[in-house]
Amino acid sequence: MNVDELVRDSLREQAAGQTPAAPGLADRVLGLRRRRRTRRLVSMAAAAAAVVAVSVAVPMLDSGGTRDVRPADVTEPNRTSAHPDQSPPRDLIAAGRTALAAYYGTVPVAQSKEMAVATRTYWLLNPVTKKYVKTTKWSWVAVAPGLETAAVLEQNLPASRIGLLDMASGEVKRWIKVDHTVGGLAFSRDGRELVATTYSENPDLRPIPKKLKGGGEVTVETRSHRTGFYVIDVASGKARWSQVDAGGGPGSLDMINTRQDFAFSRDGSLIWSGMPMDPGYQYYDRDGTEVGPPADAKYLRWYVDAGLSPDGSLLAGDFAGEKYKTSSWILDPGTGNKITETHGQQLLAWAGDDSLVAWDIGKDGNEYHQRLVLVTLDSDKVVPLSDFRSTKDDTLGRWEPVFADR
Amino acid sequence: MDAEGLESFRDFVDSRSSALLRTAVLLSGGDRHAGEDLLQNALAKAAGRWHRIEEPEAYVRQVLYRQQISRWRLKWRRREVSVAEPPEPGADPDGSSAADLRLVMRAALSRLTARQRTVLVLRYFEDLPEADVARILGCSVGTVRSTTHRSLARLRSLAPELAALGPADVEQPPSRDFSPVEVRP
Repeated sequence: MNVDELVRDSLREQAAGQTPAAPGLADRVLGLRRRRRTRRLVSMAAAAAAVVAVSVAVPMLDSGGTRDVRPADVTEPNRTSAHPDQSPPRDLIAAGRTALAAYYGTVPVAQSKEMAVATRTYWLLNPVTKKYVKTTKWSWVAVAPGLETAAVLEQNLPASRIGLLDMASGEVKRWIKVDHTVGGLAFSRDGRELVATTYSENPDLRPIPKKLKGGGEVTVETRSHRTGFYVIDVASGKARWSQVDAGGGPGSLDMINTRQDFAFSRDGSLIWSGMPMDPGYQYYDRDGTEVGPPADAKYLRWYVDAGLSPDGSLLAGDFAGEKYKTSSWILDPGTGNKITETHGQQLLAWAGDDSLVAWDIGKDGNEYHQRLVLVTLDSDKVVPLSDFRSTKDDTLGRWEPVFADR
Repeated sequence: MDAEGLESFRDFVDSRSSALLRTAVLLSGGDRHAGEDLLQNALAKAAGRWHRIEEPEAYVRQVLYRQQISRWRLKWRRREVSVAEPPEPGADPDGSSAADLRLVMRAALSRLTARQRTVLVLRYFEDLPEADVARILGCSVGTVRSTTHRSLARLRSLAPELAALGPADVEQPPSRDFSPVEVRP
């Protein structure tokens, strides 16, 4: 038997096994339509008289039709919010479950003739006005799922305290003091914990390339000053530090980048960080002991931000460039096998179980001239979400996105 | 909708909803609740323009297929897929009887992407030629062909029992697909 014959037989058997639709479906559908119309009218009234309308809207919603037992998120989808004329963005960019929670531009600030600090300027989403607000206060920002809270570090890393920022007011509501200085932060998927990467020196210190008379350039040697990580309970502020060597001995350049932050594994049970050397990652338990990767993380690449799909069945992979000029692989997380090739030069965040936000290039073919787009697996539809960012490194126009679940 | 329209809408739903539901459940990877949601949404859309629709069934089916492959817009909850038997039946030790294989296949179908599954349902359940599938989904024939090929390959890779099956009787896709890229702002 061929695989297509088995597909045909299985589909037919599955279809034949379905019990008929429940009676009264037409009336349920008509009731659903009535409620949707009511909802639209309510939102129009709310726009005209914002505060008063909200208080009367809720009882109105239940006034017509038969019972709708579907979850609210099915009838009120997270709409795509695209601004293809904006770069850097001014108004909310979002698709499906993910939103551009913040973005930043990096400019080097010289500390000496040889060294500069890659200094970030952030634009943070105000979840109330849905606009991005510029701030130079923070050297690092991690946004929690829900877009209401961010964890921040002040300028001049490494920092000795972590701020919990209210995204709407822009105010730090609480400070968490730490004994080991911190250079990077990442939330767990549920937003309840933070992993803070500790460094003994600023991880954003970069050598300034020195031009040679005969052509070419040379940079001074740098090394990692990563010391370990804290796992912090956000609600209580309780933190536990684990020491982790920088790689091949203290300060070894061979094993990790000067900034190589830790993050939680998908289920939050392990801590991991990327590595330039194969296999490209190292996992630790919460005590800082090296362990093997989870089964669904063997083929994870630390530089592909999208990672595993929301339902965990697909893994965003590396650049492909076979079927299209700019495209990426979608992998089976368990085997690393290529499942499909999708539009998108660099996959940044999953919008749904089969759609992603990615960087992609335009018609000019310049691989550095990119904009945010929404791509759908096995589809040629590409929806621009932002305008193109600048091609010039070390300028605020070449902004980097920070995504969070909304 | 006037009284006449209401009556014809009710007649259509009463007579065709079970057949449409079967397709909707297949498109949803065997999830009955998700299939019911999918059908309810498609019928609601049809009800909104009932007096302008000449072929209701074709219209509802097109909405079903396209709605399913744009699922990100609806943010479905992930649900467990119910199957009649456990995924690894113990009655037949080699797991190779036709009934066992169909069960394994059903589980594998539920793990495809929505678009992959939709293409297979259109090709093998609805028995539509590639050109019709391309028209319904709004893509090129080349895309339908390559998606079919990749979907069948994915099914074989999902379960060892399926890997032993012969290759599908479909044309192999070209090594590079030169079908036009659609970019919609």
